[in-house]
Amino acid sequence: MEETNKQVPVTVLTGFLGAGKTTLLNRILTEQHGKKYAVIVNEFGEQGIDNDLVVDADEEVFEMNNGCICCTVRGDLIRILSGLMKRADKLDAIIVETTGLADPAPVAQTFFVDQDVADRTKLDAIVTVADAVHLSTQLTDHHEAEEQIAFADVVLLNKIDLVDESGLEVVKERIKKINPFAKIINTTKCGVSLNEILNLDAFSLKRVLDVEPDFLTSDHDHEHDDDVTSLSFVSDTPLDMEKFQDWFSKLLQTKGQDILRTKGILDFTGESDRYVFQGVHMLMDASPMGKWPEGKERSSRLVFIGRNLESMNLKEGFENCKSA
Amino acid sequence: MKADTSQFPELDKTKFEQRGTEFKLGIPVTNAVTVGNSIAVGFGDGTVRIFTSGKSSEPIKAHKGIVLCMSKDGDNILTGGDDGRFLKISLDGKISEIGNFGTRWVDHVTANNGSLVCSSGNIVYLWSLNHKQPKLFEHNSTIGGIAFDTKGRRLAVSRYGGVTLWKKDYSNKWNSSELNWKGSHNKVIFSPDGKYLVTSMQENQLHFWRLKDKIDSAMSGYGAKIKSFAFVDDSKYLATSGAKEAVCWPFDGDGPVGREPICLPYVGNKLVTFVEPFPNENAILTGLSDGSVFLSEIEKASNTIIIRSFTEFEVSAIAVTKDCSHLLIGDMGGNILWTSIWDKEKK
Repeated sequence: MEETNKQVPVTVLTGFLGAGKTTLLNRILTEQHGKKYAVIVNEFGEQGIDNDLVVDADEEVFEMNNGCICCTVRGDLIRILSGLMKRADKLDAIIVETTGLADPAPVAQTFFVDQDVADRTKLDAIVTVADAVHLSTQLTDHHEAEEQIAFADVVLLNKIDLVDESGLEVVKERIKKINPFAKIINTTKCGVSLNEILNLDAFSLKRVLDVEPDFLTSDHDHEHDDDVTSLSFVSDTPLDMEKFQDWFSKLLQTKGQDILRTKGILDFTGESDRYVFQGVHMLMDASPMGKWPEGKERSSRLVFIGRNLESMNLKEGFENCKSA
Repeated sequence: MKADTSQFPELDKTKFEQRGTEFKLGIPVTNAVTVGNSIAVGFGDGTVRIFTSGKSSEPIKAHKGIVLCMSKDGDNILTGGDDGRFLKISLDGKISEIGNFGTRWVDHVTANNGSLVCSSGNIVYLWSLNHKQPKLFEHNSTIGGIAFDTKGRRLAVSRYGGVTLWKKDYSNKWNSSELNWKGSHNKVIFSPDGKYLVTSMQENQLHFWRLKDKIDSAMSGYGAKIKSFAFVDDSKYLATSGAKEAVCWPFDGDGPVGREPICLPYVGNKLVTFVEPFPNENAILTGLSDGSVFLSEIEKASNTIIIRSFTEFEVSAIAVTKDCSHLLIGDMGGNILWTSIWDKEKK
């Protein structure tokens, strides 16, 4: 998943029907003069995309035949991305628009699982367009809305002119509670500077180092069990690598379906490098990322976004990884 | 002492490269298909070029974007593209449109006895000879590959979860049966003797069914997806890409179950990306991820010769003319080698 110049960036646009995905898409296509984009849409999407390279997709989710039930990929994306890479002219970027009810996990997992796709393209970011008026209801009624927020690198909170200030704060708190990483951008009619949503390289491990999760101080008291929430842990005591790997791999194996996204920076006893990882369900990209910066305290930080996190004894598991 | 150029292909041009013509077109080669003593090549800019001994090869503008797939119908070429068009192209470059699916890609094309077939999305379209309207075969997922058996009575359609086998009865009615195996199936082929059906999968493995008793099994152990595989010497071996050796499974006798494949190694330790049977011989042409191509006898790996040295781009097409006089190699960097196979003096 690490970048090379040959990889074409892929931006995934998610969001419920009517939130403004097509408005955003058309803004990207008309404002980026001289750039060559391929746009992958689904046949049930909103109409009227102004681009000469539009590909129809079927949103086919395939289970990989490797014994892991949460390892699903988008078969149509593998086919289309592999085909697009045979083009004579180089694409500047590819944009995938999903249907309103799509789960973003198979899209993200496609870039981990398929070697041809990973060699030639890279997932740049998941951008979720949310309707400031309706998001709260959608989050309550549809688990897909929660997943789209949970996987987002950027949440474009659209139509803010239609809610009052306190209503806006409530929606933003709700988003942050699900996903403390996502950058929330307030817009009307998707009016956003395109460099805030394109070429973010949000899935590279280098970017994990830059992200400071925006946690709420509130506790996790009144959620339903199946609400998507996030939990984070910090430790100034170095971790034991073997204990951590043991705990973490077992955790993902058994609870990977409920854990949507993870990110972390780890300080292991006896290691001079920082270890960085980020994952989607059970799939993980991890690597040492150079020495700890001088003059900065070494510490481990770990964030989970998922369902039923309270039942996983995450705090206890993490505490047990500390070096004695 | 003489340097062995086959060990250091970069040091010298092979005799085939010296004898043949090299084209550096810079456009990815997506397909090549043998049509009699000509070879038609499809490219990533939508063009097709036809190579015939003694003639020049001009680009034919067939599709808007990419030639996704190719096959032949008698002396004509069939192509499918990302412009949603299914085309028939004659050897003199005349194009006729058989079908048009708009923004939906034409992913696979084939033909048998004048019937023209393509797939787009989850539907197979079959135009019988002299029929204007196609017959539609619908499936539960996007189609990974289509293939006729040698007689043209059975049409295999691979998909998510297995293969749908369409069989034409003697009143020319098509009936389907399902061969199921979990996972996503891509390219599908029949063995030339009609006894086996083989698919490549999204996972790094192949799957086969013995059709008389529906016994099936996986062929695994590959390091990469298997993009290219073909039966060699009638149905004796199945040669496959996807490993650093050309893996050849025995399909004679009772088939490959419980038997070891023959693995043909190549210098450079690169991934095999393309295999093409050499007509009428127990031999294969093997293309690697660095662009080099070798000719090997399956049962005598020491009889391996180098055809093309490396170009740095993976081999994406190899084809031999019907009379075995010429061969063509194409790669993802748009390099083509078109050469006679035999020395003129020897012939």
